[in-house]
Amino acid sequence: MRSNIGILVLAALPALAQFGQPQNLAHRIDLPRDSPVSLVGDEWDGSASVVRGGAYAMDVRMALSLRNNSVHRRIRGITLSVLAQEAAPGGKGSISVPSLDVAPGETFSVRGDLHLIRPVSDGLGPLVEVTLDGILFEDLSFYGPDRLHSRRTMLVWELESKRDRQFLKAVLEQKGAEGLKKELQASVERDTNKPQFGVQVVRGRSSNQESSRELPVAFLNVPESPLEPMGGAARISGNEAQAPKLVVHNRSLRAVRYFEIGWVMKDPQGREFLAASMPSEMRLPPRSSSQILEEAALRFDPRTSVDSMTGFISTVEFTDGTFWIPSRAALADPLLRSVVTASPEEQRLMQIFRKRGVNAVMDELKRF
Amino acid sequence: MNTHTPETELALLATRDLSWHRQIPVRWHVSNCGRCRELVAAYRLDEVFLRGLTVDLPPRLPWDRLSVEMTANIRVGLAAGECVGPYVHERHGIRVSGWRVATAVFGVGALMSVAWWLNTPAKQTQSLGRAVKAIASRPFAGVFANPFSARALGWDDPNFVVRVTTQGIELHENGTRLGVTQGSERPVAVTLNVKGSARARYVDQDTGQVTITSVYAQ
Repeated sequence: MRSNIGILVLAALPALAQFGQPQNLAHRIDLPRDSPVSLVGDEWDGSASVVRGGAYAMDVRMALSLRNNSVHRRIRGITLSVLAQEAAPGGKGSISVPSLDVAPGETFSVRGDLHLIRPVSDGLGPLVEVTLDGILFEDLSFYGPDRLHSRRTMLVWELESKRDRQFLKAVLEQKGAEGLKKELQASVERDTNKPQFGVQVVRGRSSNQESSRELPVAFLNVPESPLEPMGGAARISGNEAQAPKLVVHNRSLRAVRYFEIGWVMKDPQGREFLAASMPSEMRLPPRSSSQILEEAALRFDPRTSVDSMTGFISTVEFTDGTFWIPSRAALADPLLRSVVTASPEEQRLMQIFRKRGVNAVMDELKRF
Repeated sequence: MNTHTPETELALLATRDLSWHRQIPVRWHVSNCGRCRELVAAYRLDEVFLRGLTVDLPPRLPWDRLSVEMTANIRVGLAAGECVGPYVHERHGIRVSGWRVATAVFGVGALMSVAWWLNTPAKQTQSLGRAVKAIASRPFAGVFANPFSARALGWDDPNFVVRVTTQGIELHENGTRLGVTQGSERPVAVTLNVKGSARARYVDQDTGQVTITSVYAQ
């Protein structure tokens, strides 16, 4: 018996020794054979894994260099899936680079830093797999398995990019370099002053049921939007907004298959901020209405209480694969202007403006 | 060699029925003890003799009837034994004694304590402590209604939690936090999706290239 206990202790020592000790992170990059991009190089410096609570907590730091191997098409965006485990939360992530302009034969880099988890019990050790989820080209054609719905996401970013570039080109034409400079300065100022609050999502029914009240949700009417929110409410309990529900009406002549609603919260001090987006995947025929109920709660900082809520339609996808996004005129609404984040392309141009001035932005706008 | 091996073990060794963990010491003893070696040899001869007898058993022996009778006799013997004294179920192989159980329990307990201490975040330990206290302080009826529900355990967040802050995305599960960062950079925007996923947007200070990292809770 004594010898048996000794064997058990000796067997457990290696397992105990790895607790809290960083280990090397095994990785695998898997691009399809017919992929329009090929791997030129990769760096994983700083990637590591630590055993915590029955799981590997993995710090994935990667920098990939990729080449556009397509014959004619320029790449506008790419999404890579980074997978530590498929099933459980926290095991799946992605890295996207929108607003690209990569010509055939050119190389570009994708850098990212993700923290993921993988259970120790699967016996495979700390391992992440990087795969291609999708590539969007300049003609809006798409390549990839699209397991993360990256086609939809990248298409919306690209449509926003086209909208904002057109807007800035129009400003340049009408008001010249000085007008463009003023517009970019205003964008930078809005972006810098955009309020950002700590908020978390609790899926399922919240345990906080004490002294809740029903709060009617106001909706921002965007006249050009194909969907019209008809009414809605959420249960408010302290710093939580629970189970939002609403009715939407499709006032267009096309069937809708997906839409997103942005939720804007206002606290008693009058501060407004974009708390979350609520995507809905459903078929909504023309001229029809439907009710949406989400079993989730938004929980804010304990010092923040919800005074009012406002919703607005931010994205609509029709069954024919086309999209609607708010125009620049719609985004000029004071509420949307103060809470909606600038598009990735506008943020890229703002950074170029900060770093290199308005002339560099003018050169960028001439490129495509 | 003052102490001889019990004859029962010698008989089992002779018929190759001795358990594996006793074979080495018994064989060692037999190789050094003439008396026990002779006994083992005698048992082996007996075995050969008895096997020879079975070959000469009369033909058309009613084995089924004999089997039933033997089973009945064994059951009668066991019942009689229970009448005269407590029936003790004796395990063959390792005999379990008090100090051995205590040593094993202590060893496993120590191992688990060290593993917990090295492995489990302090927040999770505190969370479990609160849960145990909550169970202990609750009325019995409430606990037995559903003693392991998230509410009975006192956890605020029964499910996986995604949180966005100005620093980036955090995933929490029972006190364990996962962060999403882009080196030393801070995100220019973080967005939360009520389905449980979150995005953080970073802009490269030199090139302006935008990178968006997402973590999916589902």
